[in-house]
Amino acid sequence: MHRARERSALIRTARVDVERGGTDGRVGRELTQVLGQRKLFQKLTPGIMHAFIFWGFLILLPTIVEAMLAIVDPAWSLPVLGDSAAFVFAVDLFASLVIVGLGIAVWIRKVQRPDRFRGSHLGEADRILLTILGIVATLLLWNASRVALGTYPHPAAAPVSRALSGLFAGGDGTEIASRILVWSHVLIVLGFLAYLPGSKHLHILTAAPNVWLAKPGGSGRLVPLRLDLEGPEEDLRFGAATAADLSRKQTLDLFSCTECGRCQEVCPAWATGKPLSPKLLIMDLRDHVNAEAERVLSARAGGVVELQPLVPSAVDDEVVWDCVTCGACVRECPVDIEHVDTIVDLRRHLVMAESRFPAEAGGLLRGIEGPNENPWSQPAAARLEWTEGLDIPVLQPGDPAPEYLFWVGCAGAFDERARAATRSIARLLAATGTDFAILGPRERCTGDPARRMGHEYLFQQLAERNVEVLGEAGVTKIVASCAHCFNTLANEYPDFGGRYEVLHHTELLARLIKEGRLTPRPTAAGATATLHDPCYLGRHNGVFDAPRAIVSAATKANLEMPRNKERSFCCGAGGARMWMEELEGTPRINDTRFAEAAATGADVVATACPYCTVMLDDAAKSAGSDMRVADVATLLAESALPPLTVEP
Amino acid sequence: MATVWIHAGLTEAGPEPVTFELLSAARSLGGTVEVVAFGPGASATGEDFGAHGASRVFACDEDAGPRAAARTLERLIHEHGPDLVLFATSYGGRDVAARLQARTGSTLMSNATAVTTFDRARTEILGGTRIVDVQFAGPTPRLVLMKPRSAEAQATADGPAAEVVRVDTEPSADLREPRLLSRQAQTSRGPSLDDARVVVAGGRGLGSAEGFAMLEALAGTIEGAAVGASRAAVDAGWRPYASQIGQTGRTVKPDVYLAVGISGALQHVVGMKGSRRVIAVNKDADAPIMRLADLGVVGDLAEVVPALTEEIRRRTGS
Repeated sequence: MHRARERSALIRTARVDVERGGTDGRVGRELTQVLGQRKLFQKLTPGIMHAFIFWGFLILLPTIVEAMLAIVDPAWSLPVLGDSAAFVFAVDLFASLVIVGLGIAVWIRKVQRPDRFRGSHLGEADRILLTILGIVATLLLWNASRVALGTYPHPAAAPVSRALSGLFAGGDGTEIASRILVWSHVLIVLGFLAYLPGSKHLHILTAAPNVWLAKPGGSGRLVPLRLDLEGPEEDLRFGAATAADLSRKQTLDLFSCTECGRCQEVCPAWATGKPLSPKLLIMDLRDHVNAEAERVLSARAGGVVELQPLVPSAVDDEVVWDCVTCGACVRECPVDIEHVDTIVDLRRHLVMAESRFPAEAGGLLRGIEGPNENPWSQPAAARLEWTEGLDIPVLQPGDPAPEYLFWVGCAGAFDERARAATRSIARLLAATGTDFAILGPRERCTGDPARRMGHEYLFQQLAERNVEVLGEAGVTKIVASCAHCFNTLANEYPDFGGRYEVLHHTELLARLIKEGRLTPRPTAAGATATLHDPCYLGRHNGVFDAPRAIVSAATKANLEMPRNKERSFCCGAGGARMWMEELEGTPRINDTRFAEAAATGADVVATACPYCTVMLDDAAKSAGSDMRVADVATLLAESALPPLTVEP
Repeated sequence: MATVWIHAGLTEAGPEPVTFELLSAARSLGGTVEVVAFGPGASATGEDFGAHGASRVFACDEDAGPRAAARTLERLIHEHGPDLVLFATSYGGRDVAARLQARTGSTLMSNATAVTTFDRARTEILGGTRIVDVQFAGPTPRLVLMKPRSAEAQATADGPAAEVVRVDTEPSADLREPRLLSRQAQTSRGPSLDDARVVVAGGRGLGSAEGFAMLEALAGTIEGAAVGASRAAVDAGWRPYASQIGQTGRTVKPDVYLAVGISGALQHVVGMKGSRRVIAVNKDADAPIMRLADLGVVGDLAEVVPALTEEIRRRTGS
């Protein structure tokens, strides 16, 4: 009881993050994810196992009431359902399905023994499974005993109970057995309820609300911090420093985790031997919050209490920085835990309040903070260097806005390997007569790497500045060549007043192909390709078909990797890790992904994001492979445009 | 007359160079300047410190740790009552200053760029865009940690040798106090990458760890040259991470940067684009580094580098 009160108080007193956003699609999500168990079916067998148990639990809920009524007076029964043959059949069916589900669970845990359970409390899980068995078994046997006594309604509709009724001889012995069974059933259920708040099975109460509170619009958008220094001080937060800082959703996340490990299984950091596991992170935070519960509640009530810092008391620094924000964990989680948001919140405090971050990332922040406002500290004028030899319209202040503002991005402008894509895109747009222009020297970093690192303040400065420039220029449509810029412009700038129709370059190019304005000759490029889905284009924003349309058009075939589309394995550059060293774990994330690409036997790794291009190209060189790494736009340009006579 | 003390640390090589900067800064205040020196050879520093304006040196020749140094300083402060004590912002300086502050309870200011009077100092904030004048409060002595290179070391024309007063550190009754048993100095050949006038850096093109021997030989013929590496070479295990130049490694600003077998990807270039002159040796005439280089040599580095080394040797007679 105490634990239940404590946990509900922790959730109740946690601050509500009003910036999380609206309510679109929540009802739909509750229906498909909770009722329909959609995310659980992302793994078929465990999905079936859980669905049987969960649906069984829902259908059998009224039987618990029935049992409690029967304890008082065996003659009492439920209104409506008590006399329904359909319900009797459903009870029989679903109780049996629960047992089947339990059997599958035992097989998974004891025979298959998947690695995702590493670090989970398996003993606790076993006890819970046993308890569920106890509940369902006592129910079936009680029903069976009532069949034997002739007091069960519509026994013809209950084949399983009828079969089990053979165990009972009838008469006084069975009467007593029946009483014992109904009492056992109710006691086990009540015992379970008492055990619930202290265990991970609490998810049966927290999962549905957690899904309800999940951010609408997907995982690409991070929730802004209110950093108005002139505003009320209570609102001013620099991220999550202690357990008291966690928001209501973040706290609910911690109590919804069932330690299933689906997130751990797909985490690129964990897969390459680093200490970060999203599951363990959530578990560690949960244990820390529970241990500090009293102090947290006291602090929130205004008491002067010293709380332990979450980093490093609950979570190591290294674990916080290993994250590439790819969102694979969030995608897998059946109860919509948002690990990435919590990790970024931890980073926010570390960076803005404590200046505690990997030293190599200092260059990134200095570059963005400094006068040139880009991660590589390149002069703004250098943003035009890639246009050499091409006639690219540069939007000057006062010019009318073009149909499309081509947002090049810092990588696309400064990085040699990324410039190939930029030039290709520009040439393709020009060849189709598309009305576009670039901002050139007036472009600045969108702020994505700063935000992912946790430097929210710096990000907001850049966002506000860019929104102003885009607003003054009258821009309504943007095509972005970097998946990160695309995500930030489309999903995050609206929080700062920037509302545009934002397309990724693959979307626009695919459309041009569809409209017949580009006619690629597939055999011209000649090669087979394997498409690497960038996390910030694919998983975070659901754009999978556009890059595929381009690859199909421009190359002989797209040989899909095993981990593709929403299951794509990160290149390792997200979460500002492009600017950090992977000092632990082998092989590296990019090497791992490249190996997967090479195994398809394709000639080219097709990418759609400059980070991916650079990371996979590095990996190719490291592996001594002669596999080519190229953006889909480059492949398209090669197959749809006449070659440039002079490449500067 | 007001007195300012300088905390000086000594190593085998003599007093830390920053001590002389502190002495010059102290001299500008007028008043008496004295030094409290710790480390082997402290008692022989009378002339050196005298030439920079100190009138007295409290010398402790023991290789004492920071705890002992702080204790000794506190005792001396009780005996002599200086108004101001300056420390260098070095590991030793910060350690002793912090411990001393805890003992005396006086005010400790860090990151000072100048001391203007005995109770005023100056610092910079917000990335050096604002200068702040700081007024000290609290009892004397005031403790100040000076930023490196805030003053120029200048000898006085006629500085007599300072009077040397030997002091001992009292042995501590605390059995937990660590005793320094020995010092191990890592001998590094040549200047560090950060200070080197010339950096010879190798990339993937060198092909192996042995390939770097060529660069070591070349660097050996140039005075003040250090060997660096691109990420590719470090990843391949040919050079240690400490020599990595680039976005996730070091940033260097030598007079001459010689990039051998380095393609010049942006991630590397950001670590060396501040170099005054860039020379690139690469078999690919279209490598991005060629655009950045003041002089680009297109050729096989296995021929070019030894030939260069030979030519330098011939001309310098080394």
